[in-house]
Amino acid sequence: MNLVHWFSLWRLSPQSLKIGSVILLFWLLVALVGALWTPYGYSQLGAGLPLSGVSWDHPFGIDQLGRDVFSRVLYGTHIVILLALAGTSLGVVAGALIGLVTAYIGGWLDEVVQRFAEAFISIPFLVLALLVIALAGPELSGDPILIVIVVAFVYTPRIARMARAAALDIITRDFVTIAKLRGESAWSVVRRELLPNTTGTLLVEFSLRAGYAPALVGSLGFLGFGIKPPIPEWGLMISENRALILAQPITVIGPGIALASLIVGLNMFTEGLARILGRTVRLGEQ
Amino acid sequence: MTPTTNSVITVEELDFSYKTSGIWVTVLKGVSIHIDKGEVLGLVGESGCGKSTLAYTLLSYLRSNARIDNGKVVFGSKNLLALGRSELDQLRGVQISFVPQNPTTALSPHIRVGQQISEVLVQHNVLADTKVIDERVQELFSLVELPDSSALMLRYPHQLSGGQQQRVCIAMALACDPSLLILDEPTTGLDVTTQSQIIALLIRLRQQIGMAMLYVTHDLGVLAQVADRVGVMYAGHMVEVAPVDILFEEPRHPYTQGLIGSVPDVDIRKNMSQSLRGLLERDELPEGCPFQPRCDHADLTCQKTVQYLENVSDDHQVACQHWKSIDPDVPVDTTNLTRLSVVGDRSLLKFDNVSLSYVTKSVLNSVLGSPAIPVVRRVSLSVQTSETLALVGESGSGKSTIAKAAAGILPSITGSIEFDGRGLAGNVKRRTSEQRKNIQFIFQNPDASLNPRSSVDQILSRPFAKFFGYVGSELQKAIDLSLDAVRLDSSYRTRYPDELSGGERQRVAIARALVAKPKLLLCDEILSALDVSVQANIIALLRQLQSENEIAMLFISHDLAVVRNLAHKVAVLYDGELMETGQVDALFSPPFHPYTHVLLLAVPSIYNRHTAIVPARTEIVGTAAGAGCSFAGRCPWQLGELCMQEDPPWRENGQSNWIRCHHSLDELMKRSAWHVQPQATAK
Repeated sequence: MNLVHWFSLWRLSPQSLKIGSVILLFWLLVALVGALWTPYGYSQLGAGLPLSGVSWDHPFGIDQLGRDVFSRVLYGTHIVILLALAGTSLGVVAGALIGLVTAYIGGWLDEVVQRFAEAFISIPFLVLALLVIALAGPELSGDPILIVIVVAFVYTPRIARMARAAALDIITRDFVTIAKLRGESAWSVVRRELLPNTTGTLLVEFSLRAGYAPALVGSLGFLGFGIKPPIPEWGLMISENRALILAQPITVIGPGIALASLIVGLNMFTEGLARILGRTVRLGEQ
Repeated sequence: MTPTTNSVITVEELDFSYKTSGIWVTVLKGVSIHIDKGEVLGLVGESGCGKSTLAYTLLSYLRSNARIDNGKVVFGSKNLLALGRSELDQLRGVQISFVPQNPTTALSPHIRVGQQISEVLVQHNVLADTKVIDERVQELFSLVELPDSSALMLRYPHQLSGGQQQRVCIAMALACDPSLLILDEPTTGLDVTTQSQIIALLIRLRQQIGMAMLYVTHDLGVLAQVADRVGVMYAGHMVEVAPVDILFEEPRHPYTQGLIGSVPDVDIRKNMSQSLRGLLERDELPEGCPFQPRCDHADLTCQKTVQYLENVSDDHQVACQHWKSIDPDVPVDTTNLTRLSVVGDRSLLKFDNVSLSYVTKSVLNSVLGSPAIPVVRRVSLSVQTSETLALVGESGSGKSTIAKAAAGILPSITGSIEFDGRGLAGNVKRRTSEQRKNIQFIFQNPDASLNPRSSVDQILSRPFAKFFGYVGSELQKAIDLSLDAVRLDSSYRTRYPDELSGGERQRVAIARALVAKPKLLLCDEILSALDVSVQANIIALLRQLQSENEIAMLFISHDLAVVRNLAHKVAVLYDGELMETGQVDALFSPPFHPYTHVLLLAVPSIYNRHTAIVPARTEIVGTAAGAGCSFAGRCPWQLGELCMQEDPPWRENGQSNWIRCHHSLDELMKRSAWHVQPQATAK
């Protein structure tokens, strides 16, 4: 993988990957340096006169408490991205583990786990997420770790099914039979034989899921079940400022555009990546 | 011989490249051939030599990453390579047609076979109305000897046997009376008996219709049956062209000699000592003769000098500057008979009256009362230490099932299996780790049996760790030694399976099995995915490993010539039942069981140009499993009711050879038509 190779990969990559990666790079940069670079603190009151409108100093306006919305959006970037990625990663790890192990062991365990997964998949994203939050109880409400777990929990059954489907194909191959004949444990077969051959599928799955995760985090924030104030999570900000939607629409539209562009960028990027990965996964199998 | 006006098709100085990862790679270089009217030209060579590419070029069918660099393909008066799509559409399927390798994928699974043939006729507008078309389809069906055509026409491809599917493909190709038929390995996936029928059909069709054929195959034995002339290809170059008799009797090119020498024969006295060393390394081809790196006759000038076809005689050309000094008589290998290891005196694996079935005993099955018909019935076998027992039979005869049972990956076993004096559990999970270590399995296809994401190092270190607990430098040394045992050096350790050739992969698979220091190797068709020269090397390797390590083998093969060269003992299976067992010499000499006889007759040999036509494998008539002789429905010497209803007795042939047949041994002796030809002379 030298520079020339990377360059030709870029040249051949789908359009959506190129646009997506530009948007995503922008947001990653903001996430990295935004918190240091904000003109005002995220909870600094009196940054300007409440409802004083758009100006060069306050591109996204001032909210009801007199906080600078632009600074809050910049500061919130890394929170949204971290929550989304951590949740998706946890979901992929848990899903892969469940999917691969049950696929290999099979039998009634596989049946039971599959039926459970189907039951969870049949519940809409948001409803399932709210159920988990309700079950966790009020003490944990607003904890970032809970949000990560909620995202992971929503994704796990879906990823488990994909991992299982990919593993079922691999299990029929002779090298798995050889491992079985050698008397390898289920864990050893999963780790040595199944996992390396399903990483392609899992990566595709990760990138597709990661694209939607910010939307889920934002929705939870909007409904008030996400991160607690005054942390400037974007969904929460949209919710807080929705009273101003007529007087000061920019305070809602600002974080809204931020969330939308992150989701669009991430989706385009992951979709393009999935196509490339899918291609190489298929090439690898030939 | 130069192309004459008599030629159907002429290829002139063809250069052809494929683009792989951005680089154009030459796959055909300066190839010129011609096929005369009514002539069968065979193309032979190992995988990657460009023979299929040449065949497709004759159809002017190019993949999107292909490029013609130079040359012409002249058919009639037209250069096919210069024609547009619509002009080609009028030619292909009408005047030039194609029979593919795999009929299962060539036929559309959801269209009735009769309709698939009539589609060709409709597409090319050759016949006026549906009634005439239907008649033509009927005619084609009887032409390719398909029985009861009206019922068969309405069937879907999956309802036909492999041989019947290939007949349908041939009928499609013949639909518009082509003057040239191109066949790409048309019998490769078929059983030897089915293959011999398809070959017989092609020979008859040619006599009847008189079309020319290009027959592409890796199997010299098949070409000996069908071809008039043979072109031998190596790395995209045509290295020798000769009439079939001359090619086999006086091969001039060192590669041709090696190729012929690599083919084992059922008559082991005809085996030759010449074989091919090394492998085709595409990226290291010299600018001169492509075969130079592997050639025993090569000198420094070969590396630089481009070789052109020179006339040996009018119709025999060879592309080797040293052809005059190369002896066309390939010496016969005399050491062959003594190469087998000495059989041990202890029984290692014993099957006693074993029946095997894929259906597990479940509550559901017993409630529904569906009787599980075992795929292998009442089989008794034994393998001594250091002995090779070969299982032969057509696909579906239960050979692999027996190996799976011995390995412990079959759910349902009745009867008893003993290993090394102790009972062997049917499920590998219930076996001792000692038993697991001592029985090792090698699969047919090394692509599937090696984890593509594991390096050779990882593949080999796992069994060492599992069975012997090796770590650190001890492990490193052991891996090097195990690679050395299969003649690979330690540079292979970091490679991944896709960086190895087919033969190297199979060596790694063999090395992995040997790591466990097993007492028994189960080899399931381990040579069938490999080229002949690689096959010859692996056979030699297996023989040597066996005598060094006292390993017993259960060797499953459809190739009787390989079996003849490797096995001590043979068991012939038909439809899950044993037909004949015995020492290899006794089994390959008369009297034969009728089925063994049929198999032997069907083997295409380069020394026997005319194989007999053997009875078809049709649906088994009259016999239910367990009643009568399972071969009765197909047996050419069937005795009627007796064979259909009564279990045939085992008859001992005196030479530790057992034949299960209602015929007496004397009767079988009298009927045997296959016999070993007289001792091969130096030629």
